[in-house]
Amino acid sequence: MQSNAALEYDYDIVKLYMWTTVIFGIVGMTIGVLIASQLAFPELNYLFGEYGTFSRLRPLHTNVVIYGFTVSGILLSFYYSAPRVLKVSLGESPLLKKLAYLQFGLYLIAATGMVISELMGITASKEYAQMEWPLDILIVVIWVLWGVIMFGLIGMRREKALYISLWYYIACFLGVAMLYLFNNMEVPTIFFSGGIGAWYHSVSMYAGTNDALVQWWWGHNAVAFVFTVPIIAIIYYFLPKESGQAVYSYKLSLLSFWGLMFVYLWAGGHHLLWSTVPDWMQTMGSVFSVVLILPSWGSAINMLLTMKGEWNQLTENPLIKFMVLASTFYMLSTLEGPIQAVKSVNAIAHFTDWIPGHVHDGVLGWVAFMIFAAAMHSATRVFKREIYSKSLLEAQFWIQTTGVVLYFTSMWIAGITQGMMWRAVDEYGNLMYSFIDTVSVLHPYYTIRAVGGLLYLVGMFMFAFNLYKTATAGRKLEKEPQFRSPMA
Amino acid sequence: MFHWLEKNPFLFSVGVFIVIAFAGLIEILPNFAEAARPIKGLKPYTVLQLAGKEVYKKDNCIACHSQLIRPFKAETDRYGQYSLSGEYAYDRPFLWGSKRTGPDLHRVGNYRTPDWHANHMWNPKSVVPDSIMPAYKHQFKNIADTETAYAEAVTVKKVFNTPYGPEIAPGKAAYEKYYKSILLPEAMKIAKAMKNKDVEAMVKQGKVPEIVALIAYLEKLK
Amino acid sequence: MSLTEMQGYAYFFLTIFLVVILYAYILHLYRSEKKGIKDYEKYGKMALDDELSDSPIEEHPNAKNNKKEN
Repeated sequence: MQSNAALEYDYDIVKLYMWTTVIFGIVGMTIGVLIASQLAFPELNYLFGEYGTFSRLRPLHTNVVIYGFTVSGILLSFYYSAPRVLKVSLGESPLLKKLAYLQFGLYLIAATGMVISELMGITASKEYAQMEWPLDILIVVIWVLWGVIMFGLIGMRREKALYISLWYYIACFLGVAMLYLFNNMEVPTIFFSGGIGAWYHSVSMYAGTNDALVQWWWGHNAVAFVFTVPIIAIIYYFLPKESGQAVYSYKLSLLSFWGLMFVYLWAGGHHLLWSTVPDWMQTMGSVFSVVLILPSWGSAINMLLTMKGEWNQLTENPLIKFMVLASTFYMLSTLEGPIQAVKSVNAIAHFTDWIPGHVHDGVLGWVAFMIFAAAMHSATRVFKREIYSKSLLEAQFWIQTTGVVLYFTSMWIAGITQGMMWRAVDEYGNLMYSFIDTVSVLHPYYTIRAVGGLLYLVGMFMFAFNLYKTATAGRKLEKEPQFRSPMA
Repeated sequence: MFHWLEKNPFLFSVGVFIVIAFAGLIEILPNFAEAARPIKGLKPYTVLQLAGKEVYKKDNCIACHSQLIRPFKAETDRYGQYSLSGEYAYDRPFLWGSKRTGPDLHRVGNYRTPDWHANHMWNPKSVVPDSIMPAYKHQFKNIADTETAYAEAVTVKKVFNTPYGPEIAPGKAAYEKYYKSILLPEAMKIAKAMKNKDVEAMVKQGKVPEIVALIAYLEKLK
Repeated sequence: MSLTEMQGYAYFFLTIFLVVILYAYILHLYRSEKKGIKDYEKYGKMALDDELSDSPIEEHPNAKNNKKEN
């Protein structure tokens, strides 16, 4: 016991990512609200000249919330929880800590480069992989550094077995590494053209249908390995810890982990239903998407059952509220996805607003809620202070939940309306609606969606304020709380 | 029998990697060669069209427009013949898109004219009164990056054997020669068809605005 | 037999193989716990007792300063 007495967990890196989570969250969601409003009120396209159109801003929104907000949130949770379940402090290895600082510095550079290049319209035009090759290389470096730190910590561990969260972090690391490398295979034109043209320009290694296959193998699995796998890592640590209840079934978590790993990758084909990729691949994408319900629900049910006998905490602790609602949204989302992947449903749903609707009940309801809860939980330990305001946290929860509900319900209706109108024919078999009819009809839903997004953004600001106040003005704690995060 | 794996980080990682890499091997690899074959008579993009594709990417038309006609009657009635894999053989990257806030564009060259596009990009409401698409007036001012487009043509010719003639060759001199003798006349044709005096004057001075390249690209989509 | 057909067969048998593996795995997990060979659920505690001063569920043999006076 004595040898460890002086040792404490080292939270310096956690703090850094906490602030980038907040900043990127605010930036990304503000752009999101702006572009949602542009669809309802097109005049808003002209606020910033050529840099303010919907089309230019849309990838900026997705990239900032994915690579800024979400990745920051994941790294914050990783640097907080991974050392704890390994029982080793990052501070014990000065080398690893330096590498972690380096990683953070490079991350800031890459993020800045990403924002600037996308505003300028420098893009590889693949969804969620828009960055051009110089930034791609930087990202590979950042990712490798993360791997070195992760496995470095694992090498130093005092706990022999790896906890569930670590399986998912490792899978996130490996999965993203593999997918990212293959999807971003590009040939920089400057090296083959005798040095003419823009130096950052490149062409994809793959063409047409192949490019589409690789891209959606990535696009889908970016969802898997950025929005699902590491977020499951987060919930497997933070929900048991906050509630003081050990995970309901360790065995079930083993099963759902290996199940998810195996099945998820196959499902990418569902983005390409009815396209020019071969039929058997489409069918496989479809079938595996449905099979995917099992391991996804395995994790979600495991989480909900962890609360068994302790449901009173749901009313008493807003952080538990965030996490339980998050697992519920995870279930909703992983049921909705397979439904959309059924070929006949996909024929209506694809290309419509139902798809962004589906994405957002996942990311707003599940991913972001988990990140908020994880950040607040760690804040009490990192700053050794009470959460500044419980009522603010409660208010944020309800406002954001309302926002999410408005968002996905309006997009469900919009998507199905549009999908049906595109295919509607009159008694002679002629198309009933011109394309613009199917756009005009969506105006009310676009407006509701923008309002939903705005509510969510308001909640984001409340979170930022609460976190800032917690760090600076929360009541000081003598020692780290064991389970439930204290709040005023 | 299995539990030791979770205590052995190295073997664990290897296991995870095998399991996740597996799907890609079976699903993606076997079809690669076949899907890359162009349909008969497909020509690669001219440099002007490639420059237009760059404008399409830069202003990110893909955010709202797809280039993939699915094999349903409702779609073929609206947009024309459904899309075939071989039609995309020279598309690097593919630009299918994933959202149709606006209509599909895969065969837009069949039913729209350069002057329609010119009016539409200047002010969408002038041709589609209820349109929610923003105007892209800056495309009439910004000069298209034809040099980069040329560099792209050289690269795909060298690396992927895209069938370009001898006029596509590395180096600045080759580019300048191509620009004067092939690209400018092609741009002039588009500019004339756009029926826009300012644009025509610009091309006459030897400058190609983004809109001309973009329309050249849209015209190629058939 | 064409390549596509082969893929079809390979795919079918692979699925059956994996289903067998999956059930064997489930059976194995529950059996070994019932027989008392393994206690899986104790690992769930890792998230709860995660202070540096808490003793690990299973000590890593190579860890620094792992010899604690109890």
